Amino acid sequence: MEAVVDATDLEKTYGETVALSGASLSVAQGEVFALIGPNGAGKTTLVRSLTGTTEPDGGTAAILGSSPAAVDRDRLGVLPQEFSPPARLSARELLAYYAGLYDDPRDPDDVLADVGLVDAGDTWYENLSGGQQRRVCVGSALVNDPDLLFLDEPTTGIDPAGRRTVWRLIEDLADAGTTVVLTTHDMAEAEHLADRVGLLADGSLVAQGPPEDLVLEYGGSSRLTVETAADPAAFDDLEYPVERPERGRDRAPEAAVVVREIDPAAIGSVVDYLEARDVEYTGLSWAEPDLEDVYLALAEPTERERTRRLEGGGESGDAVADDSDLAQAGETA
Amino acid sequence: MSRLGRVGAETSAGWRSFVRRRTAVFFTFFFPVILIVIFGALVRTDPAGGGLFTEPPAYYVPGYLAVVVLFTPLSRMGSEVARHREGSRFEKLATTPLTRAEWLLAQTAVNAAIIGLASLLILGLVILLTGANIAFSPLLVPYVLVGVVCFCGVGAMLGSYTDSQDGAVAASNGIGLPLLFLSETFVSPELLPGWFGPLVNLSPLTYFARGVRAATYSGAETAAVAGVDPALANLGILAVLAVLAFALGARSIPQTD
Repeated sequence: MEAVVDATDLEKTYGETVALSGASLSVAQGEVFALIGPNGAGKTTLVRSLTGTTEPDGGTAAILGSSPAAVDRDRLGVLPQEFSPPARLSARELLAYYAGLYDDPRDPDDVLADVGLVDAGDTWYENLSGGQQRRVCVGSALVNDPDLLFLDEPTTGIDPAGRRTVWRLIEDLADAGTTVVLTTHDMAEAEHLADRVGLLADGSLVAQGPPEDLVLEYGGSSRLTVETAADPAAFDDLEYPVERPERGRDRAPEAAVVVREIDPAAIGSVVDYLEARDVEYTGLSWAEPDLEDVYLALAEPTERERTRRLEGGGESGDAVADDSDLAQAGETA
Repeated sequence: MSRLGRVGAETSAGWRSFVRRRTAVFFTFFFPVILIVIFGALVRTDPAGGGLFTEPPAYYVPGYLAVVVLFTPLSRMGSEVARHREGSRFEKLATTPLTRAEWLLAQTAVNAAIIGLASLLILGLVILLTGANIAFSPLLVPYVLVGVVCFCGVGAMLGSYTDSQDGAVAASNGIGLPLLFLSETFVSPELLPGWFGPLVNLSPLTYFARGVRAATYSGAETAAVAGVDPALANLGILAVLAVLAFALGARSIPQTD
């Protein structure tokens, strides 16, 4: 299938800050592609490079078969990350305003219904709640019924019910053939919506693929978290690998031991083990690996490296994380 | 949607946004009114022996009109561009079919409507408070329109090259105030040092003032330009400057980061 979005080796620097360093991706028609990554990883710069609102220093990009600057804008919908439309227009007026910029727009009232704001249609934007405001902004990207939709953090600030509304909307659009590229910090959102996920760290896509493939490859094993202050040595005789999560670096509570590679059916044997040795614990929880584990495995080492460089520990202020660091991260995971 | 439709949508949104900011509406009209009240009172003192405000009241009509034709577009466009940039609105608009020139044209239309109303108010107050004897030339309409186009272009540049709304407003005041008083509006050329003359000719507002004066004040001694009636010739010069300022203003509006 022909790629609707095709970018190769995109590079962009702002002064000494490297925003993109060889980012490449390809998105097929009707696909939902989610970009995840830490703050400052280059997600917004990548979206801007693809929408023609920034000019990359190197590499090539094409959307809908054209360069981003020359694309037919009637076919493109974009929600910028920190978008703030005129505050004293009502939700309906704002959608009508943006609809008025296109050749063949949708009925603004239909868009209003799609984003779940029929009852708030006559409320000025500045009087809407933060979540409602973001939904109006999402609506503004849909008024032209685009073939290709870029949503930069579309659900930031939206409550869970509103988020589900936006999710359903994106799913319906993708079902109807719209290609969607979105950025998010919500791993559940990426896992729920995306056909493929790209993890951007330090300006490069360090991993991309279907969420389940990424979880299999980088997410590590299932884990049983035992909330206990006991020394991990107390677990030495357990037949499963055990680790004490590094403080603030993992998903476990501060005082916990994580038992790896354990089937849920075997949890009873761990309980028996703890009771037999009088090891005190306050809770047990078992989880399959998910996209957040992938994120933590791949993005955290890069982020630590970047922080180290920014604090002056690195040799070069604009160097990107090396492959060995990421490979090591994958192995650790 | 045609170009006209896009400009119409942008104009409609811009107009609604403006009229719903009551403070902005109030001060847009209050500023020239208070200026006329103050200057009108000064004029009525009719001081003798030279200095400011010794000309007949009709002489100052271009100056009063310049208050809105110059200041309103500079400050409004400057802050509007800054506001658009801060809210990523240009980033959004850059991905729609609306061009930068269309956006500026729409904003200019909104300004033209506001300034047209303010100009009517000013003319009425000038006559009422100063007793000015004005000839109502139809050329007043194109002068106000072309002046608005010109200074909307300059305002767009100010907004584009400053880094915040505060900066844009400060820059518009910094540029607008000297232009207002040194463009043959309130201060006649004889009161300025000779070496300053060429600088006066660099101000677009000078051609606005000379032309409006030639069109509305029977006692004007505005010189013809290359044998052409000064009311028309100055409009032509102002129009050329307006096209240039509009083009540069549209070009300066950020389309990428």
